[in-house]
Amino acid sequence: MMKKLSVLFSAVCVAAGIAATPATAQTKPILIGVPTSMQLQVGRDTQDAIKMAVDDINAKGGVLGRKLEMVVADETENPETGISAIKKLTADEKVDVLIGGYTSGVTLAQLPHISRAKTIYLGVGAASPSITAKVKQDYDDYKYIFRVGPLNSAIQAGQLTDFISNFVKGELGISKIAIVGENAKWVQDLVPLLKKGATAAGADVRVTEMFDAQTSDFSPLFSKVKDSGAQYMVVILSHASSDVFAKQWYDARFPMPYGGIDVKSMDGDFCKRIGGKSIGELAVNFATRAPLTPKTIPFWDEFVKRTSRQPVYTAFGANDAVYIYAQAVERAKTTNADAVIKELEKTNYVGIPGIIQFDATHDVKPGSATYKGPALIFAQWRENCDREVIYPKTMRTAEFVYPPWIKK
Amino acid sequence: MLEILIHGAVSSAIYAMLAVGFTLIFGVARVLNLAHGSFYALGAYGAYYFTSHLHMPLLPAALLAIGLVALFGVFVEKVLVRPMRRSQLAVLMITLAVALVVEQALFLTFGSEYRNVPEFVSRKFTIGGVDVGGQRLLALGVSVVLIGLLWLFIQRTRLGSAILAVSQDPEAASYMGIPSDRIFSIVMALSAALAAAAGVLAGPFLTVQPTMWLLPIVKAFAIVIVGGLGSIPGSILAALMLGYAETIVGYTISTSWTEIVSVAATLLMLVFRPAGMFGKRAAF
Repeated sequence: MMKKLSVLFSAVCVAAGIAATPATAQTKPILIGVPTSMQLQVGRDTQDAIKMAVDDINAKGGVLGRKLEMVVADETENPETGISAIKKLTADEKVDVLIGGYTSGVTLAQLPHISRAKTIYLGVGAASPSITAKVKQDYDDYKYIFRVGPLNSAIQAGQLTDFISNFVKGELGISKIAIVGENAKWVQDLVPLLKKGATAAGADVRVTEMFDAQTSDFSPLFSKVKDSGAQYMVVILSHASSDVFAKQWYDARFPMPYGGIDVKSMDGDFCKRIGGKSIGELAVNFATRAPLTPKTIPFWDEFVKRTSRQPVYTAFGANDAVYIYAQAVERAKTTNADAVIKELEKTNYVGIPGIIQFDATHDVKPGSATYKGPALIFAQWRENCDREVIYPKTMRTAEFVYPPWIKK
Repeated sequence: MLEILIHGAVSSAIYAMLAVGFTLIFGVARVLNLAHGSFYALGAYGAYYFTSHLHMPLLPAALLAIGLVALFGVFVEKVLVRPMRRSQLAVLMITLAVALVVEQALFLTFGSEYRNVPEFVSRKFTIGGVDVGGQRLLALGVSVVLIGLLWLFIQRTRLGSAILAVSQDPEAASYMGIPSDRIFSIVMALSAALAAAAGVLAGPFLTVQPTMWLLPIVKAFAIVIVGGLGSIPGSILAALMLGYAETIVGYTISTSWTEIVSVAATLLMLVFRPAGMFGKRAAF
């Protein structure tokens, strides 16, 4: 009798086990792989912003009844480590989607591995146009790649040209400019476009100087710029030591203002950590605490509340990317990559820096006078290391102020 | 022209502070110390930590950082280098290991972001129409004073004579009753303190982040090879040459070409005069 009972019990268990299998599959979490430079603020913000979105979505019941879960891998700024991070996330962790990236060189090296793993990748950090150009060249292999942010460097060059033409020339009345950039892939792509655009807009580009990202003494460079007769210095910096640049600019009380793309100057603590020496610098941001969309200020405040620091650009893209992916999965009713890609291509999402839509190369569409997509916002560091939006004019929160040692 | 003269002097001064310590420990103890750049980094990070986290005033913070780095130098020499001193290769490996451990420790403690060391002088000076940050002039002045003091110490004091004696012939010196092991520790402390002082002085206008040890060690290496390993006058002269050569290249050609100067100088010197300008024999 006992034996019969135990057999029956086992059978019930097995049956229950079989029956339970599909149920657990249903509740198995959707895994978000996050390849990023964990040691940098861009990387920490990527993780925190994803965590915010994941917690919010899970609190509302998840996606298709499944919870979201985040797995992080450090891609550093080194392509080799970047490739290992992708392999770890796709082969070992078997994630459903990848959200991350920072250095264009690393992302470009990762692309073939992402494509081989047939895993959707939503880029939130790298700006090289070559990344999404792959989607156009070979759609079947690279359709997995999307860029939620930032705007690619060719578009940034266009908007920077508008800034030179409308603001530096139009408002400050300065036409003699110098272009100074670091020797990096995306800057080499951008500088010729910028020079051409600025010249076409009527600016007189007195000198174009590229320097090594390792440069620690900018005095010779400053001297050249000064001798060229330029009156405004346009910079393009991301991996170089923006900190040292700003410090030496201030220490020498360099007699002209500077502004442009300066990725480290997007950090909320940039000004404070260099002892306020960037006060007067005008630097590009992809979002700022202003009502760009109904989501911008609530996100900004929540992020500051949770992390006690101001978000940088990767945070906006990372947070938006989770919702964009979640909504695409809801619409596709599956996490199958091909089906989700079809839905992602139809994305029309009100994000933090603007409306997010993808073009034919899966790159985020830039904003314009008639379309509220993401655009470059030029903010100036002011007294007490606060930031004020100066350009575009429609979003201006304060008038431009010259650094105190420059008489105008 | 005046710009080159002033900025070249500042670069040369920082290089000289790094190279003199590096060549001193080699000249006296035959230790090729690859962790020398780490002393520079620790000096800068020390000043940063004591001022921004412990809110100490700058001068005590800087002195404390330099003192602690000197102690760390003694620790490295006594505990890690001394047991292996018979093998040049083992010394190279252990000092490289120290450099990497320090880099990782800084990385884990402070992250990879750039840090700010406050400056002693924040105002700008205009010399003959050239704008120079006050901190740079201070670095130049302090460097000249420190190297001058070191020179006097070695030439004029009993301890200095003992250091000279050990550098000439450690065995004969020990027969004369000079405790060479203690001399090595003292020299290591001096060498580390000079590098840390360079870090504290240059930190406010240069980079402070975990990999900052690498460039100074490359420069110090180039300088002592050009000047002659173990020769203090040689390294001062070579520091001047390198500082000015880099500044001239930066001003006349492009800043992206400055870094190649030191490497090219090292290579040419090793090919044509391996002993360096003032060296008595080839170092390798």
